[in-house]
Amino acid sequence: MPSAVDINWYIALSGILFVIGALGVLLRRNAIILFMSIELMLNSANLLFVAFARHLGDLDGQVLVFFVITVAAAEVAVGLALIVAIFRTRKSINIDEINLLKG
Amino acid sequence: MNTFSLAPLILYLPLAGLLFNGLFGRGIVDRNRKSGERFVGWLATLMTFGAFVVSLTLLVSLATNGFEAWYVPIMDWINIPGANFQVGWTQQVDTLSVTMMLVVSGIGTLIHIYAIGYMHDDPDFSRFFTYLNLFVFFMLILVSASSYLMMFVGWEGVGLCSYLLIGFWFGRVDKNGAPANSNAARKAMVMNRIGDFGVLLAMFLLFWTFGTLDYTPIFDGAVEMYKANHVVQFGGMSLSLPTVLTAVTALLLLGAAGKSAQIPLYTWLPDAMAGPTPVSALMHAATMVTAGVYLLVRSNVLYEVVRDSGALILGLISTPDLVAWTGALTAFFAGLIAFSQNDIKKVLAYSTVSQLGFMVAAAGMGAYVAAMFHLITHAFFKALLFLGSGSVIHGMEHGHHEIAHGHGDDGDGHDGHDAHHEDDGFDPQDMRYMGGLRNRMRVTYITYMIGALALAGIFPLSGFWSKDEILLHAQTHEMPIFILLALAALGTAFYVGRQLIMVFFGKPRHAAAEHAAESPALMTRPLIVLAVLTALGGLLNAPYLTKAMAERNEMHPRGFWFLLEQWGEHSIPAIHLTEEGVVHMPHTPVVLSPVVAGLSMLLAVGGLLLAWLVYRGRPRTWDEADRLARTPIWWWNILPLNTFYSRGLVPLFNRFAAWSAFKLDGEFWHDFIHDRVIRDMFVTFAAFSSNVLDAQGVDGVVNGAGAVTRRLAGVLRLTQTGYARTYALAVFLGAVGLLVYFLFMAN
Repeated sequence: MPSAVDINWYIALSGILFVIGALGVLLRRNAIILFMSIELMLNSANLLFVAFARHLGDLDGQVLVFFVITVAAAEVAVGLALIVAIFRTRKSINIDEINLLKG
Repeated sequence: MNTFSLAPLILYLPLAGLLFNGLFGRGIVDRNRKSGERFVGWLATLMTFGAFVVSLTLLVSLATNGFEAWYVPIMDWINIPGANFQVGWTQQVDTLSVTMMLVVSGIGTLIHIYAIGYMHDDPDFSRFFTYLNLFVFFMLILVSASSYLMMFVGWEGVGLCSYLLIGFWFGRVDKNGAPANSNAARKAMVMNRIGDFGVLLAMFLLFWTFGTLDYTPIFDGAVEMYKANHVVQFGGMSLSLPTVLTAVTALLLLGAAGKSAQIPLYTWLPDAMAGPTPVSALMHAATMVTAGVYLLVRSNVLYEVVRDSGALILGLISTPDLVAWTGALTAFFAGLIAFSQNDIKKVLAYSTVSQLGFMVAAAGMGAYVAAMFHLITHAFFKALLFLGSGSVIHGMEHGHHEIAHGHGDDGDGHDGHDAHHEDDGFDPQDMRYMGGLRNRMRVTYITYMIGALALAGIFPLSGFWSKDEILLHAQTHEMPIFILLALAALGTAFYVGRQLIMVFFGKPRHAAAEHAAESPALMTRPLIVLAVLTALGGLLNAPYLTKAMAERNEMHPRGFWFLLEQWGEHSIPAIHLTEEGVVHMPHTPVVLSPVVAGLSMLLAVGGLLLAWLVYRGRPRTWDEADRLARTPIWWWNILPLNTFYSRGLVPLFNRFAAWSAFKLDGEFWHDFIHDRVIRDMFVTFAAFSSNVLDAQGVDGVVNGAGAVTRRLAGVLRLTQTGYARTYALAVFLGAVGLLVYFLFMAN
């Protein structure tokens, strides 16, 4: 049994990853980067699930991660299709230029 | 079921005629003038004739029923249980009402026939016959009524017809441009209203006293209450029955004076001659104006009770005497006024007033049958005279027409009758333009002669017998009235003679008279029938020659209705009040008095002779002054009623009418109540609703909701930047907020 890494490290890593992802979503304008940031946040959550599942000896967290990965895959598929469509019409994937719903 | 149940037909037939002619007559006449006129006219005539036939069957029914009055209910009318007040439409068929029905429908039929010829080519032909049937309808209601109220319906109805028919040519104006015909109609209405007011008040008193308006209970009650010395309570006042009946009979006299054109309300009748001549004959001579006399005769019991009680008005005169004096004075003065008239119809109009005075005087003296007798014979000869004068006017118009348009236009094509052609001042009714017509209009001349001599009272024409009966009664009862009536009879003969001379004798004074032509057969045949009736009408109530004969006949009466006297006594009982009570006595038969008859004949011949002396061959030309004009017509000053009417009453009425119209109706009702109060209130409220409630209230809420939404949206839209990252930040902050809430504050 390898020495267990303290759970707090996992939580800290997950937090850092989530903050990086959130900042990426809020600060970057490139749609692709945005998606990557979202993936980063999702995966930070996955990491936390897995870490707690192990820590608590409960498999539910492990199962939930699969669901998250599945949903993320589907989300990327739809999102990338949207981005391609937007690019075709606008010749740009800068999300600040996509502001038709401005009030 | 017996023949009496036919009685309502006398009302239904004219009603059917007037409804049909009123609704479809105009269309029928307009579609085809000639046959339409014939259809409309003969339909109206047939309906009146039908009423006459029904009246004849009622006469026979009465005779076979022992002359007992028969009541024919038609329907209920007013029923107020609280006041115990019941009035129904019930016809009373008795000898008096049947006599009147026969006169009205019989003479009415003849005049309808005459009018078909007279009204030929009038643009309102069908309207005329509608009115005539309406008149017959109302007049038959009046005479067949069994209560004062039903009688009053007919009374007002004939007044309305009188108004409508006097103003039949309402568009015509006189020389001054005044609407003379409609003014005359209005005058008749106003004068009659004064009389109607009296009848109304009399009815109120009768209802208060007897609790009913039916004739029979009132008359029976009056006699019984008089016997029992009944006292009538008026609130705090208690009056004896004779006092109340004095008031009632005086008010009824006022009504009769209005309808029958007696002093002081007679002035409307001469003006009523503005109507078409058949109307003058039917309503303003033969039938309608006798309604007042009929009312007096019908109420005979009331007058007899007052006479017996000796109750006086203001201690001066009893009401029956007042009636007699009113009649006698009217007979005398109206006869005098007739001297100065040049209009052929105006002479006859004043003559009618005068003859009505004879009837009223007879009724006032208690000679009710004599009054009815004179009413009937007067209906015959005055209808004849009026129709004859219409024929004369027709002939004069024809003559005038012929001068104006040359010869060859025969008979047809008159443009309305009684029209006052203005070209040379010619007036077809003015006797000064006539003269010598006896050669041009044979039938009219002979029939008119018979009527005029009957009016003058020449033996053996009907007027002689009826006038003689009145004079006889006056001579035995009231000497002063006899003198007045005898003078009136002399005056009658004088103006009759004057009229005959001016119209038919001498030489024509105008080209129109030279070219006058006889009227068509439709007009002359009724004249002939009426002339026969006039000649033989005296047989209705021929007096006995000697007292012995009278007594013999009283004991063995000759059949049922040979004499009006015996016929009438069944509804006009002679009342004799004795110690024990009331005894209904048979009438004393009329016996010819050689003195009175001789005097009356002398007066008639004398009057005619006097006229011949004064007017023989005069006037020579149409503009020659009247021979009487040199003598001041002082009676105009004695009797300034016409002046009073035109100077006093008319301006007063006009001022009141103007005040009513402009101040009361215009300024107060229209301007103030309508415009200020009602309209302005409504406008204000509507303005409030529109400007405040709607514009500011409802619209404010609706627009406000919109405005608030817009303004809110203006603020909220700022949050919708369109930058996806802004939204993401919001979501992120939201998530952080929720997290903070759950972690630190939820507990």
